[in-house]
Amino acid sequence: MSTPASAVRSDILDRIMRDYEAVAARLPDTAVPRELRGRAMRELSRLGWPKASDEQWRYTNLRAFEHVPAFAPVVLAHAAGAAAVTPALELPAPLPGFERLLYIDGVRAGAAATAAAMSGPEWPAEQRLGLLCDMFASDVAALRIRGTSAIEVLFLTSGAAAGAACYPRLQLELEPDSQLQLVERHLGGPAAPTLVCANVAIEVGRGAQLMHYRLQQCGAQTVFTDTLSARLAEAASYSVRQVAIGAASARTSALVRLAGRGAAFSWQAIAVGRAQQVHDTALKVEHLAAATRTEEVFRGIADERARIAFSGHIHIAASAPGADARQSLRGLIEGAGAEIDLRPRLEINTDEVKAQHGATTGALDENLMFYLLARGIERSTARALLKWAFLGDVLRAIELPALRSAAEHGAAGQLPDVMAIGALT
Amino acid sequence: MSTVPGIAAAAAAPLLEVRDLRVKVGGQEVLRGVSLAVRAGEVHAIMGPNGSGKSTLAHVLAGRPGYEIVAGTACFEGRDLFALAPEQRARAGLFLGFQYPVEIPGVNNAYLLKAAVNAARRERGLPELDAFEFLAVVRAKIKLMQIDESFLSRGVNEGFSGGEKKRNEILQMLVLEPKLALLDETDSGLDIDALKVVADGINSLRAAERAIVLVTHYQRMLDYVVPDFVHVLARGRIARSGDRTLALELERRGYDWISEQAAA
Repeated sequence: MSTPASAVRSDILDRIMRDYEAVAARLPDTAVPRELRGRAMRELSRLGWPKASDEQWRYTNLRAFEHVPAFAPVVLAHAAGAAAVTPALELPAPLPGFERLLYIDGVRAGAAATAAAMSGPEWPAEQRLGLLCDMFASDVAALRIRGTSAIEVLFLTSGAAAGAACYPRLQLELEPDSQLQLVERHLGGPAAPTLVCANVAIEVGRGAQLMHYRLQQCGAQTVFTDTLSARLAEAASYSVRQVAIGAASARTSALVRLAGRGAAFSWQAIAVGRAQQVHDTALKVEHLAAATRTEEVFRGIADERARIAFSGHIHIAASAPGADARQSLRGLIEGAGAEIDLRPRLEINTDEVKAQHGATTGALDENLMFYLLARGIERSTARALLKWAFLGDVLRAIELPALRSAAEHGAAGQLPDVMAIGALT
Repeated sequence: MSTVPGIAAAAAAPLLEVRDLRVKVGGQEVLRGVSLAVRAGEVHAIMGPNGSGKSTLAHVLAGRPGYEIVAGTACFEGRDLFALAPEQRARAGLFLGFQYPVEIPGVNNAYLLKAAVNAARRERGLPELDAFEFLAVVRAKIKLMQIDESFLSRGVNEGFSGGEKKRNEILQMLVLEPKLALLDETDSGLDIDALKVVADGINSLRAAERAIVLVTHYQRMLDYVVPDFVHVLARGRIARSGDRTLALELERRGYDWISEQAAA
């Protein structure tokens, strides 16, 4: 299979195309229609591999992708006679009242695919990593929900995925006036470098309400990327609570379109990095209709030599009078070699909007520190408490106790001093 | 000790002794030679107009960063206070009640109180309280301060009204049982009912082995917590000291006459 002559070529792109050619015939149409895979391949070839010199990719650890040994999905390696898939991790306890869908290395465990795959969105250039999942996905969690439901989709990377790639894929259509609590959790722990490349496509119907919890707890060697696209109809509500703590390198790219009048979107996220972890999030929200609302909250802690970046771009179109957009981005630099980059951006093309944004990066608040010290609390304990409090807004917004506990323990695991003082509730 | 008029005859060694303290903030001298002696069992009121240095004095003694100590000394039970870090001062038995208590969402009140109590107990060589012992201690104090027990699981001062924050400050003081309490404008922003509750809390802690320093702008708190001594701070110095009648005189005459005397 050849790429257009105009393509921006690179070694990694060549490897991706070679790997795709090698497995394309064996990839299941049930996960992604064949024509969509081909179209994705051609689009990625046309766009080329992203470059760090591009502003949108400046903080992404693109080099980590160069160390991915193979882009073909691990499931095909198994089919060729490699070791059987066995979960290397103990599964978390089921969430009360939730139906669990388990995917191991991107393939549904113990059951057939949930529904026929949908066509999925067309990814813009800044979301081109989504094309990888379109090309290589081996399965899909395709959900069409009517009424009220609670579903946990657990994507597990097994030990067998070491050195290979897997492509979690989630597609959701939430029908009008329906309600869904959705937990999307990525877990893994293989020692060798593994690519986890996820796509999430969501349609929230008129008047529907979606609460989407996202926990990324991939293994320490994993290169993780997820690409999310969501579209909200009139009076729809979509809330995301995201906790990013795992992986050597993680890139989240999300595009949310508020297409119907009165649609409301809330994004509350934390990222905690240590060692040389990189967490990079690019969130773009498009207000396309009147009286649409966005609330963005991001809290990031970078310890040791970690890098954390968050780009929050809110675009309010001329067709969206009465829009209300708020951003609160805060970063805490804990390590001498750590780096945080927060980029709020409001782009307003109409009058009659309410918009506010704030972005601060720095050290712990001295007033809060003095208050604790003045109560006799050790400085090290006070520091740990304040770090924990820094994440508190978002962690407390996780309304499911079992999930909040998991998120808290995961976050505290990234902060040994917090774990040591036992501040977890 | 004869640093403060009116208490020269007292026999006991001061719990807190401040001598000729000079402090700069942002390059400007805010305290310009403050001397003060406070003995166990005493209640002192430090009054003065806005900007006179009252809160600066309280915060410098508690160890807040950002102040430059130009000259002078402060001894607490004979120890050089300025040689101690803020947390060491607190564990030694010095308590600062904040005028503007901060909110710390994500750290609950119970955790803060227990950590603070046990830090102080470790300092005194006492065993730490376990969860049950701690709750037993704190429940009685909560009742006295008319605070709902559910507040223990809430974030420190999170969403509290001004009055609730001040009650929480006094609750912390009651639980920690300090040797010296410096209460910085604890009465500000309180309605009369809350003022009485706060005053009851403070009075419940009056004891022969303990001293209280009330920093206040107004006299009304002193109707409920009657001081043994009143000092008026003006232009960075203690311009006048006396008994409670001085506070009543200030209520009648205001601060201008003292400020003018201090400027002369």
